[in-house]
Amino acid sequence: MKNELKKTPLDYYKHLSLFWTDLIYLMSSKPQALSSVGPMRNFATNSKKIATELIDSNEDLVEFNKRLMEYYQQLSDTWTEAQKKVNSKMPKIPNDSEQFDSYKRVWIDIFDNDFTDLFDSKKFGENYGKLISSELELSKHWENMVNVMLQSANLPNKKEIDEVYQELHALRKRISKVETELRVEKKRIKK
Amino acid sequence: MKTENEIDPKFVEEFLKFSRNVIEAPKMVSAPDEINLEVTPHDVVYTEDKVRLLHYKPLTTKQSKIPLVIAYALINRYHILDIHPKKSWVRNLLEQGIDVYMVDWGTPTKMDKYLDFDDYVNGYLDHCIEFVKDEASVDQISLQGYCTGGTLATAYISLHPEKVKNFVATAPVIDGWRDTTVISNLAKHLDVDKMVEIVGNMPPEFMYYCFSILKPFEQGIEKYINFFRNIDNENFVDNFLRIEKWLSDTPPIPGALFKQWIKDIYQDNLLIQDKMYVGGKHISLKKIKMPIITQVAVGDHLVSPECSMPLHYAVGSEDKTLRVYPTGHVGMIASSLSQKKVLPELGQWLKERS
Repeated sequence: MKNELKKTPLDYYKHLSLFWTDLIYLMSSKPQALSSVGPMRNFATNSKKIATELIDSNEDLVEFNKRLMEYYQQLSDTWTEAQKKVNSKMPKIPNDSEQFDSYKRVWIDIFDNDFTDLFDSKKFGENYGKLISSELELSKHWENMVNVMLQSANLPNKKEIDEVYQELHALRKRISKVETELRVEKKRIKK
Repeated sequence: MKTENEIDPKFVEEFLKFSRNVIEAPKMVSAPDEINLEVTPHDVVYTEDKVRLLHYKPLTTKQSKIPLVIAYALINRYHILDIHPKKSWVRNLLEQGIDVYMVDWGTPTKMDKYLDFDDYVNGYLDHCIEFVKDEASVDQISLQGYCTGGTLATAYISLHPEKVKNFVATAPVIDGWRDTTVISNLAKHLDVDKMVEIVGNMPPEFMYYCFSILKPFEQGIEKYINFFRNIDNENFVDNFLRIEKWLSDTPPIPGALFKQWIKDIYQDNLLIQDKMYVGGKHISLKKIKMPIITQVAVGDHLVSPECSMPLHYAVGSEDKTLRVYPTGHVGMIASSLSQKKVLPELGQWLKERS
C-alpha cells in the first residue's frame, strides 16, 4: 500500500482525501441516519462523489492549462513572425493616408496569410482538438457535481432528462412513420 | 520643407472624419436587431416540429411547372438567400418564373439532440418534398442544396431519385479529405463523440469560433473600418448590417446529426467513397442519374472547390454541368455577380429541364 501511494503526489492527495471522506461518512452515518431524512441525507451520501469529481478534475485542469498555454504560444509566435515580415517589408512608419492604406493592406495580408497557415496546420488542429477535449472533460466533472445536487433535491439529472429526450425522439419517429403510411393510404384510396 | 516625421494634414483630416463617423454612426444607421431579414413575401405552407416550409409568392404571371425546393444549410439561417431585394437569390428566381419553396430547419433545442441524418433526409426533407409534389400536382420537383444543405440533398437524391427531376448543388460539402479550409482542419481533430455526449447539440459558439478564424484580420478589423468609413453610404451600410445580422444568427446543430456529419464527411470521408449510410440505407453517388448542376466558387474559404467538385465527377448522370465562379461562399449566392452571372445561368439551366 505504501509503495502504491508513492506513485504521484496527486495519487497520494486523492487517496488522502478519499480516506477521510469515507471515514467521516462511516463515522457519521449512524447519527445522520437518525437525525435526517430526505434531501440532506441524500446529499450527505453523495457528497463523496463531489469530492472525487473535484480531485479528478485537477488532472484535467492540468491538461487544459497545458493545451491553453500551447494555444496562446502558437498565436503569439505567429503574431511575432508576421510582425517581423511586416517590418521588413514596410520599415517606415506611415505618415500620410496613402502610406497608411498600403501599410494596412500589407499588414492585413501578411497577418491573414500567416494565421491561416497556422489554423490550417496539423499542430494547431491537434492542440485545438485536445484543448476542446480537456475543456469538455472539465465540463463533465462540473455536470457530474451538479447531478449530485439535483439528485439531492429530488430533481431529474442529465441522464434522466436524456432518457426523456431519447424517448421523445423515438415517439416522434413513430408518429411520423404512421403519418406517412396514412398519407400513402389516403392517396391510394383517392386513386 | 517636409521632414520625415511630419504628419500629412490629409491623414489627420481622414482620422478625424473616421472618428466623427464612429460617434455619429448610431444616429445614422439601424441597429442589426431592428433589421427585418424577411424580404420576399411568402407563406409558411408546412410545418413539422421546428422545420418550416416557405412558399414564395410568384412575381410573374407564368411560372415553370416544376417547382424548386431549396434545402438550406445547417449553419446560420436561410435568410442569406433572400438577404436584400437587389441581391436576393429567391427573388431573382421568382422573376425568372420559377416557383420557389425553401426549407427552414428552424432552431433546434436540447430536446432535438437525437435528430440525425435519417430524420433530416428521410424525415423532414422528404415530407417537405411530398408536400410540394401534392400542392403543385407534380411527380417530381427540382432540388437545390446549399453548403451542408447540399450534403443532405445529395443523400436525399441518392435515396429518393424518383422524386427529383433536377439537382442543383451549390457549394456542397462532399469530399472532406480534399477540403482545404481551416474548418475541415478543426473538424478532423475534433472529438465529436465527447462533444455530443457532454454538450448535446453543436453549440453556436463553436461555429462563431470557426468564423472568427477565417481571414481573422480582414474580417475582424478591415471589414469594420470599411463600415465606419462608408457610414453615409446607405446601400453599403444596409447590406453590411444584413450580412452581419445573418452571420450572428447561428442555430445549434442537433448532436446526432453533427456527429455523423463530422465523422462521415470530414473524418472518414464516406460520402465520396460510396460508403455512407443514412437510416441504414446505402448512399451511392454513382446511382444518381438525374440532370445535375454543381456550382462552386474559387474563393470559397468555407467549403473549398476541391471539396465540392468531386460530386460532379462521382455522379452517374449523363447530363451534368460544372460551373466555377470567381467569388466566395456568400458571394456566389448574395452578390451582384450572383445576380448578373450565377442566377441567369441557373435559371436558364432549370428552364431547359422543367
